[in-house]
Amino acid sequence: MKVLRTITRRLALSAGPLLLCVCVMGQTPAPSPRRPLPQVRTKPGDRRAAPQVVTIVHRLNALKMFRLLARSEQQAQAIAGFESAFNLVDDVHTNVSAGVAMDDGETIAAWLPEAEVEFGPPAFPQAGIDVKPPTWPDTPNTDFKERFFETPDVSVIGPDGKQLLAKYVGFDATTGLSILKLTRKGLLPPAPIKDEPLGVGENVLLFGPEPVTPAPSLVNNSLYVRIGSIEGRIQNVLSAPTGEISRLRVSAAKLSQANIGGVAVNEAGDTIGIVDGLEGNQATVLPTASIRRAAQRVLEQQASVPRPWLGVRGEAVSTLKLDQIQSQGWTMDRAAELAGKHRGIMLTSVVPDSPAARADLRAGDVILTVDNKEIQKAEDFTWWLEQAGSSNLVHFTVARPDRVSEETMDVKLSGSLDPAAGWLNFRKRLLPAKGLSLLDHGIETIALRPGVATQLGITAGLLVVYVEPNTPAFEAGLKPGDVIQSIDGQPLSTLNGVPSPKTLSTLQVVRKKEKLTIDLAKPAKNE
Amino acid sequence: MKDTRCEPVRRELEELTLNEAFSDSTSEHLSSCAECREFQRQQMKLRQIVSSLGTVNAPADFDFRLRARLAADSQRPSFRYWSFAVKGLATVAVLVVFGVGVVVVWQRGHEQAPIAKTQPPQTPAGPKQPERHQTIPAPAPEVTPTIAINNEPKRKADRSFVVRPKRSLTAVVDLSSERANIISNTMPALNTGTIFPIDASLQSLRVSLDDGRGNARTISFPTVSFGSQRVLTNANQFAPKGVW
Repeated sequence: MKVLRTITRRLALSAGPLLLCVCVMGQTPAPSPRRPLPQVRTKPGDRRAAPQVVTIVHRLNALKMFRLLARSEQQAQAIAGFESAFNLVDDVHTNVSAGVAMDDGETIAAWLPEAEVEFGPPAFPQAGIDVKPPTWPDTPNTDFKERFFETPDVSVIGPDGKQLLAKYVGFDATTGLSILKLTRKGLLPPAPIKDEPLGVGENVLLFGPEPVTPAPSLVNNSLYVRIGSIEGRIQNVLSAPTGEISRLRVSAAKLSQANIGGVAVNEAGDTIGIVDGLEGNQATVLPTASIRRAAQRVLEQQASVPRPWLGVRGEAVSTLKLDQIQSQGWTMDRAAELAGKHRGIMLTSVVPDSPAARADLRAGDVILTVDNKEIQKAEDFTWWLEQAGSSNLVHFTVARPDRVSEETMDVKLSGSLDPAAGWLNFRKRLLPAKGLSLLDHGIETIALRPGVATQLGITAGLLVVYVEPNTPAFEAGLKPGDVIQSIDGQPLSTLNGVPSPKTLSTLQVVRKKEKLTIDLAKPAKNE
Repeated sequence: MKDTRCEPVRRELEELTLNEAFSDSTSEHLSSCAECREFQRQQMKLRQIVSSLGTVNAPADFDFRLRARLAADSQRPSFRYWSFAVKGLATVAVLVVFGVGVVVVWQRGHEQAPIAKTQPPQTPAGPKQPERHQTIPAPAPEVTPTIAINNEPKRKADRSFVVRPKRSLTAVVDLSSERANIISNTMPALNTGTIFPIDASLQSLRVSLDDGRGNARTISFPTVSFGSQRVLTNANQFAPKGVW
């Protein structure tokens, strides 16, 4: 027995390390699937996974960038030049944002910062065009110009780095969320969504894609990305007039614009919302109930859903000083009475030919109730208008500076796919500063100086960056990328600086170095 | 037949010293037994010879050397046997272990080898050219503690990447140009989560703008932005307050 023990001991001593080495060599390149799952750490500060967080890649080509440039506050009357190496339809910008998979495992909501550049202002009040949001076909068209009107160039990458086939369903202008749907179920695990009340002080993690550092940012045309997270804590829970959560405020260190669009997940791994803004060192989080409603709106329509639009600017009376109320035409006594009640929204301006203007609402009017719901804060007004929805009637109770008694009126809301209503400012800037405008005809352009125009085989002109669907110009076949050289037979040089033409009959354009005449009275044949 | 008294008599004869006298019974037997007398004569002669030899002194370490020799002699036969057995068994064990290791390593290497099988292309939602997306199964990323919730570590063969041809920039404005693709190659996972590549333009678009008053300036668009970092910093912000 002693000898046997000796043999055993000697074998163990000599073969053990060898066996260990061999096993380690075999295991290092790829962990065994049977390896136990890593422990999930629960203490604050730990990074944890969020299988419901996906990465959304949104690409913009040069034409869309020019459109963005024209609509921005940049003083850009014309393009004087750009590098000839770029094609107008080349992808020149890539936005990488987070998206959250809903609990059905196939619907994805994401806050894409440049989503509105894919859409036009749907309503041109002067032209009397109804809201008809574009819908996206299932099958991409092979013609690049047709593609411009098709689904935005958006891709989904799953938590494991795999690209997932998804369709862009639409844009919800009320929340600013883009809604996508995976073409197959089961590509993502169903992710729990927390619908129970949230408490102040709860720890959350804000997930979002981030570049991998310190690795080179671009290697072989590729940017390496991963889903990162930062810690946060719920500081405030804001309630809507109905009592449900309207926003969460989350404090976190190292917040930046890159965190907007990030997915907020609690310690249990449940989705609690999407970051939709920053206020100081706090992030505002759109709660899951609002995300659900946005997805439901878009999925029901299978198209983008406009935001209810009234066409006014204003402030809550409770935030105004007495002299500010008086400056809107209110007498001292009535201004004091109004301020004492802390109710209503005072209109400071009304957009001409907007739903508000058509209902005879004026600056100085105070909207006291919406559908018999008292309004005290600006958030209340926003909430009830959103509940009413675009293209629907709302019932207002209005106090006016020149009327003693309150009035009631019904107003049919319009809609806007531009959540910031930025096109109103765009129009204001464009008309005086940039002269000729075809905006009222649903055509967005930016002027080309001769130097850059020669790159397109022309002398000068207006580069079309967007054509509103369902307009005569769209139906006649005008497309982004066309360069307008004359309008109704008059060269642009003779029209420059004159007000926007009231009517349009024909446009002479250059397309692929070929001159075309587009008759706006004749819809183009399907290509 | 031998007399039964011979044996005790001879034992007594062996034990007697050289000058010691016989007992009476032994003397009586010797007188009647010729064989025992001969045995007695030989014993006496042997004793006389031995007693005539000189004395030999042992060396001082004789006892130690004797004991060591005895100990060594007592162990030598078993050591030789078991040493051979141990060496043989150890060699066999090492060979077996090495063989198992080789098989394991070979299997691992076989699993990691690129698989040339092509999956159906995964086109993005956007209007991309499907033929430019060639999806190839590749090893899955290593799941680390930072990303694992209900995630079984995946086999590397599960992961896919898309091979993307190089995009060439031309000096001609060709409005039928294709767009860039999305996913290209894969990179081994680091310790902080799944890492994946995204194709991005290498070159920033620079545009010269004319403000209409004779002032020109150049704007360079970033090729990539994360989150809501807008392309133009003063672009219209989402949902400005006080606008309905």
